[in-house]
Amino acid sequence: MKLVVVSAGLGVPSSTRLLADRLAAATAERVPSGAEVRVIEVRDLAVAIAHNLTSGFPGPALADALDAVTEADGLVVVTPVFSASYSGLFKSFFDVLGARDRDALAGKPVLIAATGGSARHSLVLDHALRPLFAYLRAVVVPTGVYAASEDWGAEGLPDRIERAAAELAALLPATLPAPRREREEPEAFEVVPFEERLAALRD
Amino acid sequence: MQFGIFSVGDVTPDPTTGRTPTERERIKAMVAIALKAEEAGLDVFATGEHHNPPFVPSSPTTMLGYIAARTERLVLSTSTTLITTNDPVKIAEDFAMLQHLADGRVDLMMGRGNTGPVYPWFGKDIRQGINLAIENYALLHRLWREDVVNWEGRFRTPLQGFTSTPRPMDGVPPFVWHGSIRSPEIAEQAAYYGDGFFHNNIFWPADHTKRMVELYRSRYAHYGHGTPEQAIVGLGGQVFMRKNSQDAVREFRPYFDNAPVYGHGPSLEDFTEQTPLTVGSPQQVIEKTLSFREYAGDYQRQLFLMDHAGLPLKTVLEQIDMLGEEVVPVLREEFAKGRPAGVPDAPTHASLLAAKAAGAAGAAEAAQGAEESGSESQEVSV
Repeated sequence: MKLVVVSAGLGVPSSTRLLADRLAAATAERVPSGAEVRVIEVRDLAVAIAHNLTSGFPGPALADALDAVTEADGLVVVTPVFSASYSGLFKSFFDVLGARDRDALAGKPVLIAATGGSARHSLVLDHALRPLFAYLRAVVVPTGVYAASEDWGAEGLPDRIERAAAELAALLPATLPAPRREREEPEAFEVVPFEERLAALRD
Repeated sequence: MQFGIFSVGDVTPDPTTGRTPTERERIKAMVAIALKAEEAGLDVFATGEHHNPPFVPSSPTTMLGYIAARTERLVLSTSTTLITTNDPVKIAEDFAMLQHLADGRVDLMMGRGNTGPVYPWFGKDIRQGINLAIENYALLHRLWREDVVNWEGRFRTPLQGFTSTPRPMDGVPPFVWHGSIRSPEIAEQAAYYGDGFFHNNIFWPADHTKRMVELYRSRYAHYGHGTPEQAIVGLGGQVFMRKNSQDAVREFRPYFDNAPVYGHGPSLEDFTEQTPLTVGSPQQVIEKTLSFREYAGDYQRQLFLMDHAGLPLKTVLEQIDMLGEEVVPVLREEFAKGRPAGVPDAPTHASLLAAKAAGAAGAAEAAQGAEESGSESQEVSV
């Protein structure tokens, strides 16, 4: 079972990464067969993502990260809140993912999470992240986790982490790994026979 | 195998001088490049078609007609002709006219165009891009093969008793390539008709090109035009050469770094590693180009983009001389090695005419004897 964590924190150390790791650990604990966790730090791919936006194709390191996300059984995605939304870099990562393979997240269980300086932006989960992943056709778990600075010293955050992790774990393959979706190989091109296309225009 | 030049026709400032050529200078430069291609022993010159600045070639058959009058051998082509926004009737007429003027030295490459606003400017809807390409080409295909066409479709006013004039030279329509970078539908279309498929791989990693070409080849065989290896494939490439590879990198870097298409993005080194762009010695260009065969199979047409990134005309002409003197002769020799006997050359007017005559003779025999699928007439050889 492959669990991939996409963390878009910019600082080192980063509270976004801290939250991401706690969510990943809480999820992995609940998978009886064990989980292989891979963390993708979007920060490390910042330049490659910008290049992909201008050149139209990913460099090797970014391609590897996009493949990992595409082939994951479940995702934990965590972004800092910038200007009342997800960070631009976080969005750009999913922009290049969707441009490369628009079905990359189709049907995939995703846990959304965000960090911010205060609790004022906690609805970013529901007005920004949830619609983004709905558009990408992911299955977003009901509980999103928002951690403001004050939450790190308050009650409640561990409960939310546990609840969200349980919801994600329930959607992951329990014992046997589910048939994994590989990136499409040449044989997998969906070809509509040409006669059908011509005929459709004649109707 | 054919080797040639394709030009986008962009007007781009020379970043080393800051000077931007005038449209007239650029148009004349494209002609000079075509004439140089013939002089250097290359086989093909193809022009793009664009309807927005900073591009000049909006009227390809006008330009190609002028070049036809000043050349003897060169095959004149396009890269691409917009099958979506042009009226297929006008394409049929324009290119048949060009074919007669150029004594058959004409083929063309269909493309959908990648500039969104061009569709509404020509009264079309970009969301219908694939359907426009399919319906318009289906009509074009008939206009060149049937003397009188009655036709009704979704995107164009109906035709009753219409004859496209002039008729194709010797009753042989120009050979058609279909160019597409990302759309399997177009590879399928090319395969269906037994036409050529051109993958303009210049900004794409090899694995993507491989997938598209493999799809076309397998569908070509599916439609009974021959084996997958006999499908007609064309590829792009872009190069900048100097005898010494360090000199090539030093001279080209400011052009690369500032070019509208690839500037301010990945480094020259990353780009050359991941795409067909080669900046180096003629030997490096030879090696890179030969490597295309490893993922695209034995193919028929190799077009090079030489007038890119605002390079001055004088430099471009030097580059084409080097291509003709040092690169293409070696490529011809090397590509011929190990090329299976069944792999055809790119169709030309002469080969298509011969195939037509053979097909007619075969059909006459078949009418007397057993039934025959007629697939033999699709086979193209020179």
